[in-house]
Amino acid sequence: MADLRINLAGIKSPNPFWLASAPPTNSGYQVQRAFDAGWGGAVWKTLGEPIINTTSRFAALSFNGQRVAGFNNIELITDRPLEVNLKEIYETKKRFPNHAIIASLMVEPKQEKWHEIVKRVEEVGVDGLELNFGCPHGMAERGMGAASGQVPELVEKQTYWVKEVAKTPVIVKLTPNITDITVTAEAAVQGGADAVSMINTINSLMGVDLDTWNTIPHVAGKGAHGGYCGPAVKPIALNMVGECARNPLINVPISGIGGISNWQDAVEFILMGATGVQVCTAAMHHGFSIVEDMIDGLNNYLDEKGITSIMDIVGKAVPKYSDWGDLDLNYKVVARINNDVCINCNKCHISCEDTSHQCIDMLKNEKGEPYLKVREEDCVGCNLCAIVCPVEGAINMVEMKQPLPSMTWNERQSSIARFKMDKVAK
Amino acid sequence: MSEHMQYLEEKRKIDSYFDKGYQIVSIFENLSGTFVDFVTSHDAGEREIVELQLLTAEARKYIASKLIVAN
Repeated sequence: MADLRINLAGIKSPNPFWLASAPPTNSGYQVQRAFDAGWGGAVWKTLGEPIINTTSRFAALSFNGQRVAGFNNIELITDRPLEVNLKEIYETKKRFPNHAIIASLMVEPKQEKWHEIVKRVEEVGVDGLELNFGCPHGMAERGMGAASGQVPELVEKQTYWVKEVAKTPVIVKLTPNITDITVTAEAAVQGGADAVSMINTINSLMGVDLDTWNTIPHVAGKGAHGGYCGPAVKPIALNMVGECARNPLINVPISGIGGISNWQDAVEFILMGATGVQVCTAAMHHGFSIVEDMIDGLNNYLDEKGITSIMDIVGKAVPKYSDWGDLDLNYKVVARINNDVCINCNKCHISCEDTSHQCIDMLKNEKGEPYLKVREEDCVGCNLCAIVCPVEGAINMVEMKQPLPSMTWNERQSSIARFKMDKVAK
Repeated sequence: MSEHMQYLEEKRKIDSYFDKGYQIVSIFENLSGTFVDFVTSHDAGEREIVELQLLTAEARKYIASKLIVAN
C-alpha cells in the first residue's frame, strides 16, 4: 500500500481527495459523512455574509446517454450565519483531527472585512483558508468572487490583507473566466499566497427550453448565467493547472479542481502539478462513497508502478507540457487499420474524406469483400479516424521513423532567419 | 496530384539544386508559401539565381531541416 498522505503548503491530509467548497460541504453533518466515507479533506462551503438563494439552482448537460457530463449552478455561498458554520467546523475538526478542513471565504474587498473573518474562522481550528475569488454568478454582481478574481491587483491586495493576519496556510482559488490564469495566479503569489487552487466554475447558460423559451434553469421565467463544472470542464482545468505548474513565478503548490470524477482524473492532475485534488460534481452525482474507488484505484496504480508515495509523482508530467513552437515538426505518426478487428462501418473513411485529408480508401479484396486502407504517405496523423472509430484497437496510430532530424518551429525559424529577405511582396 | 506527390516533386527539385552545387541566398515567406532563391556557387563562373516556390508544408519543413543538418 502506497502512502497517500499529502502535505499541501503545510496542510496535511490522509489522502489527496478533498471535497471542494460547494453544496456537499454545506454543513457539519455532510462533511462528517464525507470523512466517514474516506475523503481526506473538505473545503467548507464559502463563508461570508449569509445570502439568500433562488429555486431552482442546478441544471445538467446529458450527452448521448452520459448523465451529468456537465453541471451548471446558480447557487451562492452559505446561507447560514457564520456562528452556525463555525460551531460545526469546530465539532467536525474535534471528531476528525487528522482530516483537513479548509474554510472557503468571501467578503467584500475591504481590509477590515478580511481581517475579521480570518480571525474568527481560525479561532475554531481550521487547517487552512481558501479565498474564493472565483464564483462567477451572483456574488460577482456584488463585487466579490470572480469580479475581484479577474483583477490581478485586487487578487494581490486581498491576499495580502489575509496574510497580514492569517496563521494558517492561505490558498487562493482562481477563476477560469479570464484570458490567462497565470496572471492572477502570479498576483496571488505576489500577495503572499501559500498555494493556489483552480479552477472555479466557468460562466455558462445550460440551455433554452424550446417550448417555453425559458432559460435552463429558470427562476419564475427568468435566468442568469451560472457556473459550469463537471467532466466537460476537465480539459480546461487541466490546462490551467499545467500552465501554472510550469510557470516559474508561480512557485507554490496547486490544488487541482475541475471535472475530477475518478482516480485516473486525479492522477492526471497530480502528474500535471497538483499536490491534491478537489471534487464536487462527481460526489453530487454519485454520493460520497465514490472516494472508496478513488482510494483503491490510486493505491493500485502506485503499487503497480512501484511508487511508494503519492507525493513522488506530483508534477512529473509538467516538463512534458510545453509550447507549440517547441514541438518536433518532423515527428510523424500515421493511422493504420487492423482489418481483423475493423467492422467496416466506414466512419473513419467518412470523417477523413469529409473533414480531414482524404487518405482512407474503401477497397475490395480478391473475394470482393470491402476493406479500408490508409494511404500512409498522405496521412497527416491527425488522429481523427482513431477518435471516431467505434471499435477499440481497429485503428492504431503508428510512429514512423523519420530520416530528418528533430526540428521545432522555433528551430526552423531560427535556421532560415539568416536567409530571410526584406521583401514586401512577390 | 496528391499532396505527397507534390512534396516529392518539390523535394526532388531542392535536392537537385543542392546536388548541382547551388546555395541558398534568400528565403522569403508570404501568403503564397515559401520562396527560396538558389545561386550557383562563386567558383562556377557567372552566377545564376533560380527561384523555387514551395507550396507544400512538407517541403517547407524539408528545406529548413536541410539547413539544420548542414549546420
